Amino acid sequence: MQVTFKVYRKDPEGDGKPGRSTFTVELPDDANVMDGLLKIRDEMDGSLAFRASCLRGYCGECTMRINGKATFACTAKVSAFTKKGPEITLDPLRNIPVIKDLVFDWDAFLWNKIKAVKPWLEPNEAPASGENLLPDSVMKDLRQVMSCYYCGLCDEGCTVLPVDFNFLGPAALTKAYRVAFDPRDRDGKERLRIAEQPKGVWDCVHCFEASEHCPRGIQPTERILALRDKAFKVGISHEKVARHHKSFAASVKDSGWVDEGRLALESEGLTNIKGLMKLLPTAARALVRGKAPLPYLHAKRPGADQIKRIFEKGEQEEK
Amino acid sequence: MKEFDVLVVGGGASGLRAAIAAKGAGAKVALMSKVHPLRTNTGVAQGGLNAPLGNQDSPESFAEDTLLAGDGLCEPELVRGLTREASEEVIWLEHVGVPFNRDPEGRLDRRRFGANSHNRTCYADDRTGHIVLQVLHEQFQRAQIASFEEWYLTSLAVDGGTCLGAIGLGLRGGKLEAFGARAVVLATGGFTRLYLPSTASLGTTGDGLSLAFNAGAKLMDMEMIQFHPTVISKHPGLLITEAVLGEGAEIVDAKGERIHGTNGIPREKICRSIQQALQDGAESVCLDLRPIGKEKLISRFPQTHELVRAVAGMDISKEAVPIHPAAHRPMGGIETSAQGETSIAGLFAVGECASNGVNGAGRLAGNTLTEAMVFGRKVGEAAAGHAASAPKRSFPIARLSDEEKRLAALTSKEPANDSSGKIHTELGKLMSEKVGLIRDQGGLKLALEQIQELKARYQRLRVTNPSRIYNYQLTSHLEIGSLLCVAEVVALAAQARRESRGAHRRADFPARDDQNWRCHTLVSLVNSAPQLKQKPVGIPG
Amino acid sequence: MKYAFYPGCVSRGGCPELYPSAVKVAGKLGLELEELKDVGCTGAGVLPQYLSDPINARTFAKAEQVGLPVMTICSTCQGVMAQANYRLKSDPAYREEINREYLSEEGLEYKGTTEVKHLLWVLFEDYGLDRLKSMIQRPLKGLKVSPFYGCFLRRPPEAITPTKELSRRKSYLDELIEVLGAELVDISGKGKCCGFPILTANEENSLAMVAKHTGESKGKGADCMVTPCPLCHLNLDGNQPRAESLKGEKIDLPILHLPQFVGLALGFEPDEMHLKRHIIPTRAVETKVEMLT
Repeated sequence: MQVTFKVYRKDPEGDGKPGRSTFTVELPDDANVMDGLLKIRDEMDGSLAFRASCLRGYCGECTMRINGKATFACTAKVSAFTKKGPEITLDPLRNIPVIKDLVFDWDAFLWNKIKAVKPWLEPNEAPASGENLLPDSVMKDLRQVMSCYYCGLCDEGCTVLPVDFNFLGPAALTKAYRVAFDPRDRDGKERLRIAEQPKGVWDCVHCFEASEHCPRGIQPTERILALRDKAFKVGISHEKVARHHKSFAASVKDSGWVDEGRLALESEGLTNIKGLMKLLPTAARALVRGKAPLPYLHAKRPGADQIKRIFEKGEQEEK
Repeated sequence: MKEFDVLVVGGGASGLRAAIAAKGAGAKVALMSKVHPLRTNTGVAQGGLNAPLGNQDSPESFAEDTLLAGDGLCEPELVRGLTREASEEVIWLEHVGVPFNRDPEGRLDRRRFGANSHNRTCYADDRTGHIVLQVLHEQFQRAQIASFEEWYLTSLAVDGGTCLGAIGLGLRGGKLEAFGARAVVLATGGFTRLYLPSTASLGTTGDGLSLAFNAGAKLMDMEMIQFHPTVISKHPGLLITEAVLGEGAEIVDAKGERIHGTNGIPREKICRSIQQALQDGAESVCLDLRPIGKEKLISRFPQTHELVRAVAGMDISKEAVPIHPAAHRPMGGIETSAQGETSIAGLFAVGECASNGVNGAGRLAGNTLTEAMVFGRKVGEAAAGHAASAPKRSFPIARLSDEEKRLAALTSKEPANDSSGKIHTELGKLMSEKVGLIRDQGGLKLALEQIQELKARYQRLRVTNPSRIYNYQLTSHLEIGSLLCVAEVVALAAQARRESRGAHRRADFPARDDQNWRCHTLVSLVNSAPQLKQKPVGIPG
Repeated sequence: MKYAFYPGCVSRGGCPELYPSAVKVAGKLGLELEELKDVGCTGAGVLPQYLSDPINARTFAKAEQVGLPVMTICSTCQGVMAQANYRLKSDPAYREEINREYLSEEGLEYKGTTEVKHLLWVLFEDYGLDRLKSMIQRPLKGLKVSPFYGCFLRRPPEAITPTKELSRRKSYLDELIEVLGAELVDISGKGKCCGFPILTANEENSLAMVAKHTGESKGKGADCMVTPCPLCHLNLDGNQPRAESLKGEKIDLPILHLPQFVGLALGFEPDEMHLKRHIIPTRAVETKVEMLT
C-alpha cells in the first residue's frame, strides 16, 4: 500500500527552523511506521534523523508522536492509522528540545534528570554468604517499577513540565522510588532527601497524567505519592511543605476538617514576617468579600474525636 | 584528543561490567556506545542467567551441561572458570539491587531452562536482560565513569601490532575524536542482523568484529550461530523465551499435535525439529502457551504477554502463535584468551563479539548473561592491569585526519540507484537461505560468490547525506560494511568445517567428525585475503 | 434521588459561596441531600494514605449505614475518595484490615458498597440530561464558557473512568455547557492542573499554571470559566491577580463554580448564587445573564 508521511524536520546546521517533509512510500500491509521511516531514509532522504534500536517494543527509543498520539514507531501499525486518513504525521514528543528532525534531547529531558536522583543502590552490608533473603512481594514491586523502559511518555503527558522544564518529572522520580524502596539500600532516609530536592517530589501536582500515559502500568504518580507519604512519616525536608503538611494534619486531627486560615499562616511560619506580609494582599481581598476563614476560630466538627483517634492509631502503627 | 587507560566500546551488559571492573581496579575508564546503554540489545534478553546455587546442583554439573551443549568444542578450562565463578557474580548482582524472583524462603528462585539438568536459571520475570541492564547501568553511573553515548566507533588505531586507542564519531556534535587508550575493550555485541528476518536490535551488526578483523585479529568459530526455536513469525518478529517450554508451553503443528522432542533439549535440536516439521508439509508450527494457565502465564511472563499483543496483536493466553526458528546469536567472534586478550596487544574483547571458547558449538540456554558478568569482570580487570603496566605510546594523531578523509570520500551528492538497505535485505535473505540452519557445499559456494557481488556493490555505494550530526545514513553504511565482512568469514568457516557439530549442520556432512574436526576455525586476514586455520580444542590461546 | 451529602472543607471555608449555591441548586432540581455531618476531611492528597484511607473508609461506612450514595461538590474530594474507594473495594483483605484496625472500635464496618459521585456525574448519570433540560428556565445563550475540570475528576482511570461508558465523564462539563445553552470555548488546558497543589512548594509554577489556563481561555474569547472544584477556584480566581502580576498582563476572567453555573440556567439570580464573593469581579457575566431574563 502507498502511505504518505508528513515528517517534522529541523536542521541544526541549516536555519534551525521547524519544517515538514512529505514522503510517499510503498509498504507491505503489515508494516509499522518504523518500516516506513527506515525505507524513507534508505531510499529517499538519507538526511532524515530518527532513533531506532530494538524494533519491537522493548527499548523505548523510538517514541514519537504519530498523528498527535505519543507512542512507539516500531509497534505502530501503519494500517491502524491509515484507516482514519491517507496521511500520517510524525512529530517529536512535546515539551522537549529537538536536536534534529525526530531526534530530541533525551539528555536534557530524561537522562540528566535520572542522574540527579542518584539512581543506584548503595548496598547494605552484604550477608556473610549468599543473597539477601527477601520476600518476592517486595521484589515484585521493584520489578514492576523497573519494567520502565524510559520511553518518556509519562514526562510527555506531565502538566508541570510545560510550565517548568526543570521539574525532575515522573520518570526520574519513579527511579527515585526504585532506590528508596529497595530494602537493600543503605540509606532510605537519604534517598528521600534526594527525591525531595528542589524541582523534586514536592513540585509534582499529582494530576495522574503520568499514570494515565504509562504504557506499562507502572503508575508513576502513585510512586511519587508513596515517596511523599514516606517523607511525611520520617519528616519532610522541604521546610515550607513540612509546615504546610504539619498544619493540615494538625487541624484535621483537632477539628475533623481543614482550618484554611490557620493553614495559610502556619505554612508561611508564624514568625516569618516577610512571608506573612506577602499574604496580605490576597488575605485583604478575601476578607473584604467574606472569603477569609478566620484562623483558629474554627469549629470542631461532630465526629472530630473519632478522627483524632484514627490519627493517633495511624501514627502509632507507622512507627 | 581524549586519553584514558581503558576504553570500553559497547554499552551492553558485558561492556558495563567490564567498565565497572576496570574502574574498580584503578584505571581511568571511558565507555563509548553507539546507542544509550539502556537501549542496547541486552535489554531484549529474557530468560535469565545460570548459577549453580541449588543444593543438589554444583559447578561440575553446570560445567557438564555447558560442555554437552557445546558438542565437544568448548574449551574445558574456560568452562570450569565460568561455572566456578557464576554464583559469585549472580550474588553480586543481587546485592547491588537486581530484584530477582524469589522462592517462598526468600532465596533466589531458579527456573528450568533449556538443556540445563538442574533448575539453575535465576530470573526477573521474563525481562531479566532489561532489569540486569538497568542495575548494571545504575552501578556504572555510581562509579562515575566517563560515558560517551551515541558515539560511533569508526576505527581502531593499531600500530605495529599494538592497539593505541580508537576514533569515534559523536553523533550529537558531529565531530570525529581520537581516544588514546592503553587498553581497548570491544564489547560491541554480536552480528545477528546478518540474518533477516532478525530479532536483534538494529545495531547488532558486528562492527567490533569487522574492525578487529581488519586490524589483524582472528575470528574464531564464526560458523557457529545459534538459532532460536520460538520466534514469532508475524512481522517484525518477536522472540519468546524458551523458558516457557520449561513451564509447560508446547510446540504444536497446525493440527495442534505436539512436535516430538522439544522439551529440555538443546536449542538447535528443537530448531531442526520445527524446520523438519515445516519441510514435511506442516503449514505452520505454533507455540501454545495455554497449558501454562492464564494466571500463571501473565504473572510469570508479563512482558511476553504485553509485547506479543503489541507486536502481533495476539493474546498468548487465548491462542497459539505461529513460530519459526530464527538466527539468535553467535557462539563465534573475535578470538580471545581467557582474559579477553586478542592477538593484538592492548586490544581486548568480551561478550557476544568475543569467542574465548567457552561456548564451543552451542551455548547452553541461560549462559549468555552469566558469561557477560563473569568475563566482563575478568576482562575489565585484565584490561586495567594491562593499562597499568603497558608502556605509554602516543596516539598516531595523523590517523584522525586520515579518518576524516576516509569518511569524506564516502560521501557523494550523486543520487544512487542502490542503497545500503537494499544490500542488507539481499544479504540477510542470502544468509538465511544458504548459511542458515542447514548448510551444504553448493549453497555455501553460491553464498560466497553472491557476497562478493554484494561487496562490489557496496564499494560503489556512497552516502548522500554530508552532515555528521545524527547521520544514520552514514552509520548504516558503515554497519553494512561490517556485516559484509562478517558474512564472508561466516560462510568461509561454514564451508571449511566438513562435519556437523552443535549449531553447524551440513547436509553433505551430517555426522560429527572428532578425528578431523575437534578444533576451532580461525579466520584472519593475510595479505588482505581471508585465511583459515584450525586450532585444536584444549590448546591455550 | 437522595444522597449522603459531603460538602468538603473549602465549600464552607475559602469558598463559602459554594455550599449555599449547591444546596439551593440541589433543592430546585429535587435532589434530596442528607448531609454527613460527623465525617472528616478526605485528606485532599495532602494526608498520607495510611491516615486518609481509614478516615475515608469511615465516611463510606457512615453512608452505608444510611444506605445512601455519597455526593460531592469538589473534584478533589471526589478524586481522593474515589481512589480510596477503589483500593478498599478491589482489595478485600485491605478493607478488612482497615475495618479491624480503625473502624471496629467505633462499631463501624465498611462493606464496600458505597458509591461516591460528584454533582456533575449525578446530573448525567442519575438525574438525566432530558430531565435537566426540562428544568432550564434561562438558557445561557451567548455566554461563552470554558470548562476546567480539575485533575481529580478525570484521573486516575481505574478510579474515575473504569469502563468505556464512563470514559464519557471526561467530557461531561463540555457537554453541560452546551446543554445549558452556553457557547463552549474549549481549551487545551481543561483537563490539566490549575496549580493549587503546588502553591506551597512552588508558587511560581502554580501561578504560571493559572496564567496559562485562564490566559488561554480569555484569549479564545471566553466570558468566564466554570469549574467543579473549589480548590481550582481558589487558585484560578483567588490567585488570578497574582498570576496577572507574574505574567505582567491583565487576565480578568471570572471563574464560576459548577452549581452557580447550573443555578443561573435554572433561573437563580446572580446574587442568590453569591457571585459577589469572587475575587475576580463577575459583573460582566452578571450583566450578560441579566439581559437573558
